Amino acid sequence: MAKRNSLSWNDKTREIIDKRLNVPREPRFLTPVEFAVLEAIADRIIPQPDDRPRVPLAALVDDRLVADVGDGYRSAGSPRLREAWRQGLAALETEMQARYDRSFTQLDPSTQDLVLKQMQKGELDHAAWGTMTAKEFFKSRLAHDIATLYYAHPAAWSEMGFGGPAAPRGYVRMGYNERDSWEAAEASEGKEDQARKDNARVGR
Amino acid sequence: MPVSAADPQKTPRAVEGRAPDVFRIGGWVPMRQYAESEEVDFAIVGTGAGGGTLACKLAEGGFSVVGFDAGAYWRPLEDFASDETEQSKLYWTDDRIVDGENPLQLGGNNCGKAVGGSTVHFAMVSLRFRPEWFKSRSVMGYGLDWPLDWREMWKYYAEAEEALKIAGPVTYPWGPKRPRYPYRAHEMNAAAHALAKGCEAMGIGWTETPLATVSAPRGLSSPCMYRGFCVVGCSTNAKQSALTTWIPRALKAGAEIRDLSMVGRVEVDASGKATGVHYLREGAWRFQRAKNVVVAGYAIETPRLLLNSANPQFPNGLANSSGLVGKYLMTQSNQAVWGLSKDEVRSYKGPPSLALTEHWNYDDKKDFFGGYAYMSQGPLPAMWAKTQMSSRQLWGAELVRSMQDYNHVVGLKMVGEMLPQERNQVVLTGEKDQYGLPVPKVTYSWCDNDKAMIRHALGFMRQAMEAIDAHDIFDQDDDTNHLYGTARMGDDPRSSVVNADCRSWDIPNLWICDGSVFPTTGGVNPSLTIQAIACRTGDRIKAMARRGEL
Amino acid sequence: MQAARELNRAAAVLALSVLMDSAIEHYRGSFKNKAMFTPLAVSALALGVSAHGMRDQRAVTHGLRNGAYILTGLTGAAGLAFHTYNVMKRTGGINWQNLFYGAPIGAPAAIAMSGALGSAGERIRHYAPFTPAHIWGLPSGRGLAALTSLGIIGTSAESFLLHFRGAFHNPCMYLPVTLPPIASALMARLAWLPEGSRHPWTRLWLGLTAFLGFGGVAFHAYGVNRALGGWRNWRQNMLDGPPLPAPPAFTGLSLAGLAALRIIEAKRLV
Repeated sequence: MAKRNSLSWNDKTREIIDKRLNVPREPRFLTPVEFAVLEAIADRIIPQPDDRPRVPLAALVDDRLVADVGDGYRSAGSPRLREAWRQGLAALETEMQARYDRSFTQLDPSTQDLVLKQMQKGELDHAAWGTMTAKEFFKSRLAHDIATLYYAHPAAWSEMGFGGPAAPRGYVRMGYNERDSWEAAEASEGKEDQARKDNARVGR
Repeated sequence: MPVSAADPQKTPRAVEGRAPDVFRIGGWVPMRQYAESEEVDFAIVGTGAGGGTLACKLAEGGFSVVGFDAGAYWRPLEDFASDETEQSKLYWTDDRIVDGENPLQLGGNNCGKAVGGSTVHFAMVSLRFRPEWFKSRSVMGYGLDWPLDWREMWKYYAEAEEALKIAGPVTYPWGPKRPRYPYRAHEMNAAAHALAKGCEAMGIGWTETPLATVSAPRGLSSPCMYRGFCVVGCSTNAKQSALTTWIPRALKAGAEIRDLSMVGRVEVDASGKATGVHYLREGAWRFQRAKNVVVAGYAIETPRLLLNSANPQFPNGLANSSGLVGKYLMTQSNQAVWGLSKDEVRSYKGPPSLALTEHWNYDDKKDFFGGYAYMSQGPLPAMWAKTQMSSRQLWGAELVRSMQDYNHVVGLKMVGEMLPQERNQVVLTGEKDQYGLPVPKVTYSWCDNDKAMIRHALGFMRQAMEAIDAHDIFDQDDDTNHLYGTARMGDDPRSSVVNADCRSWDIPNLWICDGSVFPTTGGVNPSLTIQAIACRTGDRIKAMARRGEL
Repeated sequence: MQAARELNRAAAVLALSVLMDSAIEHYRGSFKNKAMFTPLAVSALALGVSAHGMRDQRAVTHGLRNGAYILTGLTGAAGLAFHTYNVMKRTGGINWQNLFYGAPIGAPAAIAMSGALGSAGERIRHYAPFTPAHIWGLPSGRGLAALTSLGIIGTSAESFLLHFRGAFHNPCMYLPVTLPPIASALMARLAWLPEGSRHPWTRLWLGLTAFLGFGGVAFHAYGVNRALGGWRNWRQNMLDGPPLPAPPAFTGLSLAGLAALRIIEAKRLV
């Protein structure tokens, strides 16, 4: 975000990232109950560090559902974006009630992880899933949407060392181990201080 | 600083005698307009590599042309952000159902919805076919022959390369001699050097990828800034898309472009000739009269429109006496091998594929039919996260941890020829989309030859990665590539939909000009071939018009 | 004497061009190797001693100055070897990609040329009526003509390489690969002919080539402006756009040519 006001960001980029950072934190499409389940799932799909503000993943997914723009394909058996999320969250809750007699949100993290792993493998098979398999829901909606929205957030870009938006100013140095002064340096062992010093200048 | 308050995805821009100037923020260029009651020479459905190119050629040939596109008319400088999520506005994200043993992934990979079509977000790779592929049945024993001659195509490739000022290597190492690329190759990034090193270690050739993005100024296009967001739309206009090349030329020559215009039906009269197109614009269905209709919606929308235009005279859809409309859908294999380099690679810089090898397109010592190329890669963050999830089933702390190696990722990705199979197809379902049009269902399964090629490519690319000391190597085996084949061309009306001139066998004033006319895919990206075919079709139509054969 | 000081000036212009160019290019290369500072130091030194020489009226070789020039020449030669090695070790070895985007061969050669011109000036400066100065076994005027002929054609070759990389997208890009080779040929002819006659056409053509060096800067400034963001995005476009300081190399070499011409034409009066 240090580069927001630099030449690496054009007006359009500033406009849409500002919008993303200010996404409403309250659900607008999902019900509060669905939203709470989604928050609990998002915490497991992308565990976030405590030393920075959290990326509001559930709110970002909800925002996508409000916009209702699909991926351009869905597998036979799966409903469209909105219905898929509704149906998937409901099926998960139904299966959790049947199996543990409680909501996904009330499970401890390791059980939540176990359940998600089973969902990924298609081992959740309650009738509530209908024609959309749990495996398909996990792959094409749940993990897919949460993770792609997370990696569309500047906090995630900084975490992985991605240069971020780049226009009108692009890049000059493209070879091995080359870095423009407007890209963040990587901290290698023993050189953390140098990286910190370099990175303080990146925003210019 | 929104220059025009109206959302270009909701309110058409190309109205009132002007169209957006793609090279100037808030700018306009004059545009000729035609009345719906006027019978224009050509109504072209789709303005991408096929339709955009043909619109230009025909308008410059003196015909009256209206190009329809379901998507928005963008000004890249003001409308495009450096952001994957935002830029999904360039993709065809309407409802489509996929099934089969190997369901396709559509949307961003291969389907564009914008004036300029998928060329607005394509990776700019501009390659020629291997000549033998035009006769793959008789010369190489698989697939089927095209009704085109490679020597003639060589001429049209040159025309398309010049029109796009392709930046390519000084000499191309494979195939028959081709003229020098108009612009010089771009500087290779580290990811491209990794490909080159791997090829040298394996003892095969490599070269810089010929790209449709300029390496020096060209008119109002400024040279490439190596920002690396090419596949989500170029905000600098270095990219030579249909939006920035053919369409401005078409407008200058008197063509009209209608944005946000979804064509739902081609009308055919009792004499069996097309009379115009029904299209939805600004909430109302309208009708444009035309002497000729060109369908250029790519391999899913083209058959969908033809099938949906069925009438009592053509109950199985237009141009479908062969029963092949929607059949023989092909994609290309798009598998990849990824790994980590000990060096920083930062492959997000520069166009994603700056180097490639076509070795396996030209070496026939293989135990399968067809060939493949492979290219260096530069995935953006969300795309990379998706790859990690789909190929390695990662999520949670493992995913977050693995994403931190992003700057060290190197990858090689194939573009491989898949064989035509009748069972791979596009059909209409009973479900309706937002236009009230039937949602298409796309069925796809690989055949044994497809699988053998993928095995070969993954094995070879893995060796190339090991040769450059990449570690943590893994395969990505489930991606989808370009689309082809649902209205194929041929010499025989019983086994093809159109002839060599892209003219339908059944309806003489109905033409199809896009990737769906390909009988086979070849092992290279299609855009240049689509544009070369459109150039040829334009010339052929001009010649036929002179002889009164239209 | 006059010719010697002109040579100092020629060496100065050339050194300035190289100093600026290598500063930009090696900054682009992030000074990955400490040796990348060398051309900056050496061309700055050459620039300094040339300035000194331009004001110096004495007709004797200045030892320190000459030493500095010789050092400059040797550094240029070393740089040439180093850049060639750099190109060779890149993937693919000598190919167009590496010639376009690897270390430029022409740049260190220009440093060497700056040193050679300066050193030639020092030699000519030493007034010895009975044993006139020789360069490469030729009388000084002709030797100097040969040297500038070589320099101009080399610089022209470098600009050919880079303008070819730019696909000669602007017709004016042909100027530095057409005008200077003629100047080079004219200088080569002078190296061949006996000294003592007048060459007004050569003089005119050298003037034109010198002017081209200035005009080139203007063209390149326009080129930088054509890249996205123009001058506002100077941190990228100064590096990726056409190099501003490169064209004046032609000016420096033409000045040296004019100095050679002065010596040659002066012979007539003796």
